Amino acid sequence: MKTLRPSINLGRVVESRLFVPVLALSVILLFDLVFVRGFFNLEMKDGHLYGSLIDILRNSAPTVVLAIGMTLVIATGGVDLSVGAIMAIAGSVACILIDPRIVGLNLQGNITAVVGDPTYSFAPIPVVILLSLLAAVACGLWNGLLVSFGRIQPMVATLILMIAGRGIAQLITNSIKIIIFNDSFAYIGNGFIVLPFSLFIVVALFVGAWLLTRRTAIGLFVESVGISFRASLYSGINEKMIKLFAYAFCGFCAGVAGLISVSSIRTSDANQIGLYTELDAILAVVIGGTLLGTGGRFSLLGSVIGGLVIQATQTSMYAIGVAASAITAVKAVMVISVILLYSQQVQDLVRKGAGRLGRKQAAA
Amino acid sequence: METLSLRLANKRKFLPVGATVTLFALAFLAGTLLFPAMRDGQSFFNLFITTPFLLILVVGEGLVIISGGIDLSVSGLVALTTVASAALLRDGWDPWVVIGLMLAMGLVFGAVIGLFITYLKVQPFIATLAGMWLARGLCYIISDSEIRIYNPLYKLLAGTRILIPGLADPTTKKGDYVTILVVVALVVLAVGMYIAHYTRFGRTIYAMGGNNGQNEQSARLMGLRVNRAKVQVYMLSGFCSALAGIAYSIYVGSGHGTHATGMELTTIAAVVIGGMALTGGEGYLLGGLFGVLITALIQSLIQYNGQLSSWWTSIVIGALMLVFIGVQGVLATLNARQLTARRLGGAGGGSTAAGLRRRPWRDRRVLVGAAVVVAVLVSMQVVGARNAAPGPGNSGTGPACAIKPFRQDHAAELMKAGAVIAYERNGGSGCVDELSAIYADGRIVADNGTQTVEKKASPADVQALLGSINDLGWFTDNMYSTSETQCGQCFTYYTAVSYAGQVKTVKAVDGGTAVPANYWLVTAKLSAILPTFGPGPQ
Amino acid sequence: MADPATDIVVMESIDKSFPGVHALQKVNFALARGEIHALVGENGAGKSTLIKILTGAERPDSGTIALDGAQVTIRSPLHAQSLGISTVYQEVNLCPNLTVAENLLIGRQPTKRGHVDWSAVNARAREILRGLDIEIDVTRPLGSYSIAIQQMAAIARALVISSAKVLVLDEPTSSLTVHETQQLFRVMRKLKGEGISIVFITHFLDQVYEVSDRVTVLRNGALVGTYETVGLPRLTLITLMLGRSLTELDDITRHKAESSQHIGTDSLLEADGIGLVGSMAPFDLVLHAGEVVGLAGLLGSGRTEMAQLLFGIDKPTTGSLTMDGKPVRKFSPIGSIERGVALCPEDRKADGIVADLTVRENIIMAMQASRGWFRHLSTGEQYRIADTYIKLLKIATPSADQPIRNLSGGNQQKVILARWLATKPRLLILDEPTRGIDVGTKADIQKLVLSLAEEGMSCVFISSELEEVLRTSHRIVVLRDRAKVTEFPGDVDDQAIMRVIAESEA
Repeated sequence: MKTLRPSINLGRVVESRLFVPVLALSVILLFDLVFVRGFFNLEMKDGHLYGSLIDILRNSAPTVVLAIGMTLVIATGGVDLSVGAIMAIAGSVACILIDPRIVGLNLQGNITAVVGDPTYSFAPIPVVILLSLLAAVACGLWNGLLVSFGRIQPMVATLILMIAGRGIAQLITNSIKIIIFNDSFAYIGNGFIVLPFSLFIVVALFVGAWLLTRRTAIGLFVESVGISFRASLYSGINEKMIKLFAYAFCGFCAGVAGLISVSSIRTSDANQIGLYTELDAILAVVIGGTLLGTGGRFSLLGSVIGGLVIQATQTSMYAIGVAASAITAVKAVMVISVILLYSQQVQDLVRKGAGRLGRKQAAA
Repeated sequence: METLSLRLANKRKFLPVGATVTLFALAFLAGTLLFPAMRDGQSFFNLFITTPFLLILVVGEGLVIISGGIDLSVSGLVALTTVASAALLRDGWDPWVVIGLMLAMGLVFGAVIGLFITYLKVQPFIATLAGMWLARGLCYIISDSEIRIYNPLYKLLAGTRILIPGLADPTTKKGDYVTILVVVALVVLAVGMYIAHYTRFGRTIYAMGGNNGQNEQSARLMGLRVNRAKVQVYMLSGFCSALAGIAYSIYVGSGHGTHATGMELTTIAAVVIGGMALTGGEGYLLGGLFGVLITALIQSLIQYNGQLSSWWTSIVIGALMLVFIGVQGVLATLNARQLTARRLGGAGGGSTAAGLRRRPWRDRRVLVGAAVVVAVLVSMQVVGARNAAPGPGNSGTGPACAIKPFRQDHAAELMKAGAVIAYERNGGSGCVDELSAIYADGRIVADNGTQTVEKKASPADVQALLGSINDLGWFTDNMYSTSETQCGQCFTYYTAVSYAGQVKTVKAVDGGTAVPANYWLVTAKLSAILPTFGPGPQ
Repeated sequence: MADPATDIVVMESIDKSFPGVHALQKVNFALARGEIHALVGENGAGKSTLIKILTGAERPDSGTIALDGAQVTIRSPLHAQSLGISTVYQEVNLCPNLTVAENLLIGRQPTKRGHVDWSAVNARAREILRGLDIEIDVTRPLGSYSIAIQQMAAIARALVISSAKVLVLDEPTSSLTVHETQQLFRVMRKLKGEGISIVFITHFLDQVYEVSDRVTVLRNGALVGTYETVGLPRLTLITLMLGRSLTELDDITRHKAESSQHIGTDSLLEADGIGLVGSMAPFDLVLHAGEVVGLAGLLGSGRTEMAQLLFGIDKPTTGSLTMDGKPVRKFSPIGSIERGVALCPEDRKADGIVADLTVRENIIMAMQASRGWFRHLSTGEQYRIADTYIKLLKIATPSADQPIRNLSGGNQQKVILARWLATKPRLLILDEPTRGIDVGTKADIQKLVLSLAEEGMSCVFISSELEEVLRTSHRIVVLRDRAKVTEFPGDVDDQAIMRVIAESEA
């Protein structure tokens, strides 16, 4: 006999974990509807779908991918500041594998080397992708080892790779920005199957992550470790391995995001790839409802929506003419608003209000 | 045996700072041995001259970290200060008023952040992160492009050399010197140290941090005004950030939203290397001074070496942080173990104190950190040897080039006079400053400050060039000025292109910039068509 | 009766309830001037709640507090301090990273021309400590000293900075050596001579006799009585604390007699000289299938430590463990679960519940851990298992999807019990399973334990309530001072047990 699950009512909607991110996304889309003409226009050209909405989806790919990985790490009560650096490392590894001759060249200043032939790649593209992702996972494992076995605070441990990682990425490519013309590789970030190819990657990753966390015990264990490390210990959960997994998975996602980024701008620019993206990723996860600092319950879908919210805000601001660089101010306001929304005081207010609404509903 | 461990315990708190100072001394010594250029006394003082703003930041950040918090907004506030003060100076405000105003702004900014953290219970990480974003965003709202500062007071403060008594000859005005900014920074450090050790506020700061947040609770129970101190320490950090911003704007002579990118990371790294635990409650600001000096020294050493990419700096700093964090962790474990040993001594535990003293150096974290440092040093040697092959780009024997400001006005004039492309390239290891103009009729005039070279290409070539620039897709509305990172041997570029009746400009693009990939193809094509300079007087 | 002339603190009819637990039932407590008053009671007796109310960390639901003859409402710990009531906890709420002198004087440091005068600080600190007959280097960090010294510092601060009239010492001797304890007592007696009143909470009965003038005994939230220490025999004290079963023989005892016939002859688990340095002296223990073994002893006697060693939370430093005749190599919780050993921990809030997860998730957690990461229990199965145990243990919850933190303490305990029962253990260790649970449910759990034993499950039953242990155990192991003392058959007279516990080493 299955226990009765409560039916939908307004109170529960408000209490639902996805309420805040969906609300935020709706607010922004509403804003676009009102203030930005043609925002929702979609048109089909050469078999591709174009439009602002598509742009949002495509540009948000790296952030959303990062957010998926970051969700697990934050759920264990930690954080990974080095994802941007891992993106750069993955990108560098990919580019070096496509044309290793670069390393031997001594170039004037930092003029880039041009890889001209669109079909040339030293290693087969699948190998390139595999090795780049492996490098990213190795970085994630490094972080995980420092946190689990070194018992170093996550913020501190990942700060180290954040600082050193870009240096490592630059070293791999000998400080040279490599432009890649290889078509297969470029397809990752630029290809289209009606919708941008990177979108399919994101969806695949999301589905994979969801299966990995909700169709195995991993999700439960991650939440448990975040909420109560001691109770998890007593229950036989291997807390060290769970954390190690979370950081390795985050590294993997950073690798994927790095490949998408590098591929879409066709350059490995170790200094710029993923710069400040770690902050966007953390913000996406926070908007999505996973608590930073304590961890515990997480929502992959919430983080994805959070990533879309950030990108949508950015695109909307561009659309109404706000300069790219001023976006950060808007982001700041958004972070604080979200944090306050999640804070105890505001939640209590909301709960009281929703409760009153619910009672009115019931009485009606 | 007991007294030895007691004495060790007493001095243990100085261990991290001692380690930092020793490390600095050893590294400096190694540098003087390896590089003759470093034996000049001025090379020591240069470490101070290039980092006064960092030092000021470290004072504020150090106190915040000791109190158990963290402040990521420092670099944003520095940038905001540079932009805001440059804008005000440009509009003719009195420089002293501007300085005062900026400091007040720093206090207010810090107060707001402090209030969010203390009373709205927002985590310091997020609150200060949001603060940084807000500050940087405000920069661009004030001004999209760099604002140069021409104020005479600022120029005076930047240029004045203070001769070191005893190492310089006052009559010939030659010898070792520091700048006024250095003196200011050292004063700030002294004031910071005074606050930390001689005021009740400072002692409350120390009481609040550390012990996994337990200390904060204890401090409250002891009746200390913890909330007030929290807000005040963030105000102090804001003040230091603003002051550092003023110092920075004097140093580089301009204000821009891209200034000080990443500076918060260097600051935190210096704090950690200086021996202040990120968990709070311990450490000395003096250590922060040496942390800053070490980061500057590493960068110098790498540049003196000349064969290593400047990115090694960040790797070495990362490795050092690991070692110091490991050391801090070990000390914390030692203290905990001592307490447990004493406590359980009564319940039947044998004396493990002797065993403890032998273990710390075998602790995993210190081993890993040390192994990483060794690996880093070895790779540096290997890579350095590989890069030793002579090449045009690898001849740096001096410190980083101070990149000269772009001759934007001159470029604008050239464009008005009919140039279709104005292209300026500054920097590099040779420290060049080359402004070239390409005209529609194929004439190319390039001037590097000492020589002017002309070349004639065909108008068709120029048209083809313009066409391919357009084809590469970057000649669009989506170009904007970009970031500027500290890059020892990089070039920075300024490009203005006139095509189809419009002029597009990309300003201040350097090696660390996010532009569409194709921009580099553009510079490659331009380099191909431009004339080369002969060897001339430097 | 309380007399304002001689009593500095009078607490009358203090009543306090938490969700599901009636922590204090109209308790009266009076502290005389210049006395050392011990407060004793087992887990759940209510002593910590009473002290929290006195020191302002909690507010009573009803009842009054009078301080020095005047009624007061104590709003917060800081307020209590300002009224002259100071507490020194076991964790010593000071800052270990600051020097001793600074800890004593922080917030009130003597200043000279606006800045802290360190030499004055150090001198004053030395002076204060000399008043307690302590001479140490006050310029060293507090954390570099033993807990004993840290406690002295805390006491010194309480007296001088807060000018305390009442000093509450919460389990101060748990981390002290014998020598350090004597030092503490010397200080306490000195303070008593100066007119300070001291409330001394401890579970070491020897110490109660050594230093206190009077002792108050609490049990199950009610006041048992306040007695002059001198005239109170040890055995009586223990009897008062642990209680006697005055009720009739009931089903349970009969049940027990029946089930004892099902006890296996082969040993299920054998502990041979298992011990942990600093925690538990080496002990031998043999458990058989279908047997309930009770651990009896006072708080701090090592019951939980023994349980943790058997379950693998702690790795033993001596001895060996054998299960089904095979030596045990994997000393970890998961290893134990795989072998069929389960532990329902004592501190359910910290070690038991995972607060934000649902009842269902809490129930299946250990079972899922034993299956590893990839053999996932499907949601349908999870609900099925959860529903089974909700019914079996009569867990009061609107649904299996309730976050466990919304349940009452007793129901939370049932959920944790369900978690362990779901792993179908062969040996179930229960550490205070009935703490904070209502009487009816207590009986249910005891019956459940016995019926499970009938089906062949072995059980180690730990409880502060001796009557409970007696009622459910086939065999009783008595512990004292972190060591196993002796064993008794299950139908032993409780007096015999209390006598063993009461024997002191001196």
